[in-house]
Order: sequence, then structure tokens, then C-alpha cells
Amino acid sequence: MKRLDIIRRAGRNLKQAKVRTLLTALAISVGAFTLTLSLAIGAGTREYFAKFLETNVNPQSLFVVADKKLVGFEGGNTGPKEYDPGAANISGSSYKTLGQSDLDKIAANKNISSVQPNYNLEATYFTYQGNSKKFTGQVGMYDKTIRGEAAAGSLPKLGTMIGADDIVVPESYLKALGIKNAKDAIGKTITVHVVQQAQTKTTEELQALYAQGGLDALTAATQGKSQDVSFKISAVAAKPATALSDNVQLNISDTRAQELADFTTQGTSQHKRYIAAIAMVKDGVKPETVKAELEKTGLTVKTARDLQGILFTVVNVVQGIVAGFGILALLASIFGIINTQYISVLERTGQIGLMKALGMSNRAIGRLFRYEAAWIGFLGAILGALGGIGLGTLLNPWISRKMSLGAGSHLLIFQPLPICLLILALVLVAIVAGWFPSRKAARLDPIEALRTE
Amino acid sequence: MIELKGVTKTYGKGGNTFTALDNINLTIPDAAVVAVVGKSGSGKSTLMHIMSGLDRPSEGSVTVSGRNLHDLKKKELDQFRAREISFIFQSFFVQGGDSCYDNVSLPLEIAGVPRSKRQQRVEKALESVELTDKTRQKAKNLSGGQKQRLAIARAIAGQPRILFADEPTGNLDSATGAVVEKLLFDYARANKATLVVVTHDQDLAAKCDIQIHVKDGRITEVKQ
Repeated sequence: MKRLDIIRRAGRNLKQAKVRTLLTALAISVGAFTLTLSLAIGAGTREYFAKFLETNVNPQSLFVVADKKLVGFEGGNTGPKEYDPGAANISGSSYKTLGQSDLDKIAANKNISSVQPNYNLEATYFTYQGNSKKFTGQVGMYDKTIRGEAAAGSLPKLGTMIGADDIVVPESYLKALGIKNAKDAIGKTITVHVVQQAQTKTTEELQALYAQGGLDALTAATQGKSQDVSFKISAVAAKPATALSDNVQLNISDTRAQELADFTTQGTSQHKRYIAAIAMVKDGVKPETVKAELEKTGLTVKTARDLQGILFTVVNVVQGIVAGFGILALLASIFGIINTQYISVLERTGQIGLMKALGMSNRAIGRLFRYEAAWIGFLGAILGALGGIGLGTLLNPWISRKMSLGAGSHLLIFQPLPICLLILALVLVAIVAGWFPSRKAARLDPIEALRTE
Repeated sequence: MIELKGVTKTYGKGGNTFTALDNINLTIPDAAVVAVVGKSGSGKSTLMHIMSGLDRPSEGSVTVSGRNLHDLKKKELDQFRAREISFIFQSFFVQGGDSCYDNVSLPLEIAGVPRSKRQQRVEKALESVELTDKTRQKAKNLSGGQKQRLAIARAIAGQPRILFADEPTGNLDSATGAVVEKLLFDYARANKATLVVVTHDQDLAAKCDIQIHVKDGRITEVKQ
């Protein structure tokens, strides 16, 4: 019997049991729907991140750390480590840090134009001019390698540092600070209060201090110092249309950041040690080449492209989770197909017997039932894919608005080729599911089958 | 010609065996109209299954149109049945959800007749059983007699050399049964085909050229 004739007969047989076919197909469509969305999420977020990095990160910048646990996913808290006075502790995990010698080593590379360590800043509190309250918040160094947008005031162009005494306030801080209009904040003063921990002194040093300045000198030396540094608000950073998250720190210049970091870490093991540094590769030199050179010296280096890779890993995980649910739904629907087709074989015992009597081969009988399963799979896959595309297209504008993705950016992107491949894969899955019942049909004894009715 | 030599069919194993056919020797010439007569359980259906190659004998040989069925592989046997043999059953076995056209088309599809030639043959078969007006109707909407006529159309569409009819009028009243009988006899005589009717109906058997009486798995009498 010709394949096309079998396929046509299989389709007709399904039409005769419309409700059952539709219900079985709907079970598959749930899996197809979820998998279609997972494909769309993957495609959409990948494109979004690629666009985001392209417009926001200087491709010539290198992110340098001493400890590779800080980048990638193999890091984290893996148990107690031997104490290293130079290491930084972040939520119970110990990380190797960069020292001045490391920075010098990076700067010594002929293809590097500049190196900027990430200062470890801890402000106790800050105040805003005209507001008596004290606020806590993150203070960090202004990142000149990432493009920002100002809601008020002005930001320097990409690659240029803000003025030494300037401070850039994120838009999300305004409400708490009692600022109604972003424009009003420009030119106002923010004062950052930093504390230096008490110095540990030896008995000899303490005795010498007491001998020199008496009890007052001793108190001053062991009490710890504090400092107030004032900045003028030069800009309010807007949340950019294409951004991972809001920039939620007070941004200060590199010079002040260095001063504050040196002051607060004075006398501690973290003095002049840095978690990470940003190195700029000279124009015309491939960042990958410099990365390889620096990694030979034992540092861990990530290029802007690597950063994209890390983000894509996150996307893959999210996509994997969504796809996982789809596959679970699909797994359940496989049993639906098997069940439906088994019942169908039992119902049509006489028909199978007749076809065998008329000379239809076992192989053709098996094929007939497998193609029926394939039709069910095809129908379910089409329904699910169309449902996913329909809902996704409907929701895309709303999602873009809610997540402030900016005009023209969509979280869900439906690409025809992967969806076609998905449908094909589901048809194959259905055929595999139909294999068990089809084998039963093929092995049916025609004489036994003709005796029923 | 259908030739059976020493055909025995037993079911079961060990001490619990049942002999359905016991040393059957039989020759049915080409173009003969034959009745296999016997009560239910006599082995007449088993005899038909073995003659048509649906079942294999435990002992003995079956030669149909010069071919020993024992020597044919499963695939060859299927093809042989698809091209040369057809069946009519007491309970019709028409596919209710399919149209009359698709029911008749089935054996042609199985035999691999190209689509272009199928239409003409299907229409001709339906015409000969006077069901042309029902071509596009679903088989389940037909009456019993119409269903059996449809089954005859399906059986003759492929122009088989041998036609087996297992109690073809068993589910029909005498008037419609007579129509069905006439259709079968007409086909066999017009096409010089062998017709084997399995029945317990003496009146139907009397209309055939040869009557083979079967009892307890043995041939008791052959009337010419």
C-alpha cells in the first residue's frame, strides 16, 4: 500500500473520531504552547541582551578579577577556605583580590590604555541638602564605560569621567530624598559620611601615644575616625530604555572614590586591594588578544563579548526551565496518545482483520496507526504553536511596557524555523508514542480479529 | 484451481489438542461455484481460512493457482491475497465512517493500484451492485442489504480470481439475501472466477455447482 494512501486513510480515520482526536491533540498542544514560548523567550532575550551590550558597553573594555569564582557560575560558597588576609569576604565566601602590583602588571601591557580599579566603598550614611534625615544607600564609582542617560543635568560622553566633586543620583532615589522634580536636584549638595575603623595598635605604640599626648591622644587613636565629603549633584541618571536594571547607586568620581576607599579601609586587610578592575584596550587592538596575554599572568579577564556569554547562560537557564515544563506536559500527552491509540486498535479490531484479509501487510497496518498518531501530534503542535504565537503577539506590547524595554524591543520573538522544527519534533514524538499501539495492531491475528463483532 | 492434500489443522498443545480439520483432500477446479456446507463448529470456516492463505495448515499442502502457499513468504502471501483473492463476511465489515467510495477503494489501495485507475474501477464496482447513487454517502447510513452489496462491490473491485463468501446472507432477510446471492453468482459466471460460499443454508448450497459437506473436521460428502 502506498505511503500517501496510508497517510490519507489515517487522516480520515481521525476525522471519524473528532472529539477524541481533538482532546488528545489538546494535551500535546499544552506542551507545544509552552515550548513555543520558551523558544520565543530565548530568541527575544538573546536579541535584547545583544542589543543592550552593543549600545551600552564599550567593546574595548576588559573586566579583570584575581579570582575566577567572581565571574561565571562555578563560584559560590563551597566550604571553608584557609584564611588569607588579602582576600575579600562576600557573604561568607572568600575571594582573592587585586593589589597594586596586579594593577601595575595590567598597565604594563602595551595594548592597555588605562586601568581603573573598582573601589570598595562603604558609606555609613549620606545627607541631602535641606533635608535633616540621614539616608543609607550604595555609593559607587561612576562607570564611564557604560552609556547612561540623564533625566536632568548632563552626563559626560562615553569614556569620560564626571568632575571630581560631582555626584550622579539615580532617578529612583529622588522620591526618598523628597525631590519632586529631577531638575530641582541639580546643583544641590549631597554629603557622604564615611567611617574609618579603629586602628589596632601594639602595646608599645599605645604607650608611646600616651606618653606624647596623654589620654586624649589615646582615645583619638583607638576610637576610629569619620569624615564628611560633600558633592554637587551634576546629573540625575534616568533608567535607560535598554538596560538590565535601574542604576541604583550614588555615582562619584574616580578620584573621590579612591580617597574614600583608602580612608575607610585604612588599617584593614582590604586597604588598597580591589575585587575587580576595568582595563581599556587601545583602539584597533582585539580585546581577545589582550585578554589572552593578561590571563597568562594568572588574572581572570572577561571581555564585553564574554559578558554577553554570561548573560546568555542566564537566558539559557530561564529558557531551559520554561522548556522543562513544556517537556513535562509533553511527556504526559505521550501517554494520552498511547491510550487513545490503544483504544482505537481495540475498537477497530474487525477493520484490522478485514484489511489483513484483503492483503494489507503488517507493516502497512502498523504504519496506518503510526500516521494517525502523527496526525494527532501535528494537529496538537499546530494548535499549541499558534496559541503561543497568538498570545505572545497579543502580550508583547504589554510586557515591553511593563519591563520598560523601550520602543521596538520585544521579550518574545517568534522565529519561523525553530517553530517549524518544533512541530516536526512533536510529530516524531507522536509517532514514537504511537509505536506501541501500532505494534499491537500489526501483530493482531486476522482470524481472531474477524471473529469479533 | 485450489488443491488441498492431507490438510490437518490442530489447535492447542500436548494432551489438550483440538482437531479442526482432519486429513482433508480436495480439488476445486477454476471457475467453479462451490458451497462448503456444515453446522457451526464443523470446521468450514477454518477450511476457508486455510484455502485463502489467512491460516496455515498444521500438516498437508495447499496449492492455489499453481502456487504452494506454504512456500510463499508472509509478504508474498499478502500480495497474493491482495491481487487474486477477496472476501465477503456475514457481518459485512464495511467501515461505517468512510464513504462507500472509500470502502470500495481500500482493496485497490492495498494492491497498489495507481490513483488514476482506481476511480474507474470503484465506480464500475458500485454500478454493478447498484449503489452509484450512494457513492459519497457514509457506509453506516446504509441498510443491511446495501451494506452487503457494498461489501460485494469492495470484493469485486480488484477483479479477484477467487471469491470467498462466509455466510454472505446470514444477516439478511430472504429478499435482500436473494439479491446478494445473484450478485455473487453473476460475478463468478461473468468473470470465470471461483466462488466459494461457506454456509449452513441448504437452499443457498443447492444453487452451487459443487457442494462439499463438512462435519467434525472431515469431508463427509461431495456433490457435483
